[in-house]
Amino acid sequence: MTVVIGFEGSANKIGVGIIRDGEVLSNPRRTYITPPGQGFLPGETAKHHRGVILTVLQEALDEAGLKAADIDCVAYTKGPGMGAPLVTVAIVARTVAQLWGKPLLGVNHCIGHIEMGRLITNAQNPTVLYVSGGNTQVIAYSERRYRIFGETIDIAVGNCLDRFARVIKISNDPSPGYNIEQMAKKGTKYIELPYTVKGMDVSFSGILSYIEDAAHKLLSASQCSPEDLCFSLQETVFAMLVEITERAMAHCGSQEVLIVGGVGCNLRLQEMMGVMCKERGARLFATDESFCIDNGAMIAQAGWEMFRSGQVTELSDSWITQRYRTDEVEVTWRD
Amino acid sequence: MHLTQVLELFPEYTVTQLLFKDVKNTTELRKMAVNGEIKGALINPSMVVDSFQILVAANKAVHLHKNGKMKTRSLYSEIIFNLSPTNNISEAFKRFGISDSDSAVHIVLVHNKDEILNINDIILKVDGQQIAVDRVSDLTDVAKIKKLYKVAPLEEKCGSLLDAVVCRMATKDVA
Amino acid sequence: MAHSDSVKAGVPSYLKEAQMIKQGAEARVYRGTFLGRSVVIKERFTKLYRHPEVDEKLTRRRTTQEVRSILRCRRAGINAPVVYFVDYTTHCIFLEDIIHSVSVRDHIASAQASEQNPQHLQTLVDKIGEILAQMHDEDVIHGDLTTSNMLLVSGAEDHNMKLVLIDFGLSYISALPEDKGVDLYVLEKAFLSTHPKTETLFERLLKSYTASSKKSPAVIKKLDEVRLRGRKRSMVG
Repeated sequence: MTVVIGFEGSANKIGVGIIRDGEVLSNPRRTYITPPGQGFLPGETAKHHRGVILTVLQEALDEAGLKAADIDCVAYTKGPGMGAPLVTVAIVARTVAQLWGKPLLGVNHCIGHIEMGRLITNAQNPTVLYVSGGNTQVIAYSERRYRIFGETIDIAVGNCLDRFARVIKISNDPSPGYNIEQMAKKGTKYIELPYTVKGMDVSFSGILSYIEDAAHKLLSASQCSPEDLCFSLQETVFAMLVEITERAMAHCGSQEVLIVGGVGCNLRLQEMMGVMCKERGARLFATDESFCIDNGAMIAQAGWEMFRSGQVTELSDSWITQRYRTDEVEVTWRD
Repeated sequence: MHLTQVLELFPEYTVTQLLFKDVKNTTELRKMAVNGEIKGALINPSMVVDSFQILVAANKAVHLHKNGKMKTRSLYSEIIFNLSPTNNISEAFKRFGISDSDSAVHIVLVHNKDEILNINDIILKVDGQQIAVDRVSDLTDVAKIKKLYKVAPLEEKCGSLLDAVVCRMATKDVA
Repeated sequence: MAHSDSVKAGVPSYLKEAQMIKQGAEARVYRGTFLGRSVVIKERFTKLYRHPEVDEKLTRRRTTQEVRSILRCRRAGINAPVVYFVDYTTHCIFLEDIIHSVSVRDHIASAQASEQNPQHLQTLVDKIGEILAQMHDEDVIHGDLTTSNMLLVSGAEDHNMKLVLIDFGLSYISALPEDKGVDLYVLEKAFLSTHPKTETLFERLLKSYTASSKKSPAVIKKLDEVRLRGRKRSMVG
């Protein structure tokens, strides 16, 4: 039996999760929520994480019913993400690893999402759509790497949604994306927005600047409602994401799709992806917000795979990095 | 000597092409086409590179006819219009239709497979010599076609003059 | 002339009989005969996951862009299939069938597998670079450059190799170096992910591109910027 504890805090969530051979023993989490119209800044986010991380850690151990001695390895997010929050979490992970005398393991955040998705859904070799506030990638495994077939050439889809939410002052509680999703359900009118697919890549900056510019004009002239804008934005950006996923599937000859990342729990995105998969005779795998959104267990799970394949991170190598591409990691735990 | 082909997209229709040279009653034929005595399109063969070009025009005419999207009044005027690289209808007739001074005529007939077509009726109306349709290339005015369709030497690197002409005909709605 | 027959005749019933050769992400591709010639038919079908308005606009725009860019390329002497017929109601394009050809993707894969002399692939990428430079000089942005979207016509000698560009569905007209740079970036990623260990070959392709167009320095500069954007992008969340 191998028990791994994972620490995640690369953005505005702080989570600690414990995994024992594919079983999630605990996975508590807190979110730093900012007022409407505001995004989260690194320093303040780190401060939030510092304030709660030990409580979350205690919860994780209590809920799992484990003591420090039961843990085999301490995994933490090495990157990518925001510098200050990453450092905060890494310091705690490093400290407990030394206190407990356990090996450390630095984990790529994106790989955490992928491995958690595979564990929860049992997808074998899926084309992965990874969509969150900082990432938009279409990934497929080949020759020991999670290779990026398509991605955004500018901002991430979640970033586009979050910044749109700030423009029309949508609440950040529990998350801007969740609130956009709820409002979009009430939207009826489709406002045409730029649609930018380039090969297997997408671009969202044009859509964002268009809607930033048009939103207040349209709203003040009563040409549409905020709900219509949410609806139109979702319909446009999700269609682009499904399209590049399908392009990658056609390219790789894949018959499975796994959606991961915070935006991945959006049910409209899952529904659209499901329709596409049905048309192709493919299978869709998705998870709910407990695993789509950043959490500690995903870092524990990727850490578990890495640890079992013989990897550990020396203390002197236990740094963090804000930029860490998915395809930089050699996947030593898959054929 | 004439050429009759079925349109694959509209198998109920066939297209028949006839070619005449040394025609002496061009004015009369034009009148017959206008008043419906000849149910066909009369085309100036100097503007035709190959019978395939005519088929492309006829296929598009039938397609638009069936969808109610023709730009001109009849199937036959539509065929002439479709040959032109531009969307100017009177210009199309001037270039691709026949004029009184012409001595060669390319006749295009489109008919439903149930209709009985008496080709001899048409042949009897033409005071001229019928020749094989594939000899239209003898009558083609290559220089005039290149000028009208704006085919530069560069384009001929990647295909024939016929390719260039047909490609323009097919895409003129959006080009 | 009678036209009492069913309105359904025409393209849809024709395609039922045609041989489907590929179901791509946005189009079904068939092979058939049109006015006696061998053709490839590309049918853009409704994507049910898209909002109907998005779908209709995209499908119409892409059909139009595709034929427009093909004509523009051909005018400039760049090989692309002849367009024979376009049906804007069913979004079908009837194209010349490029016979005796193989995709550059398959060609590179088999050349790599058989380890034949490297000079042949070098000549091939030189040619690709040259053609893409010509295309960009015409302000045609392909939008989906991959080695699957280039056909190599067999039979010709290396020195007069014939390459045909296909699949212009995501293409558009732009003179901006940024758009051309992204076009090359898309190709670079597709190339390197499809053909492992071809970094030097792709570098050579870019060299040939650079040598073939006066406008290339601005494009290559943008390509470098776009690449850097990928690596420097904030990846929070």
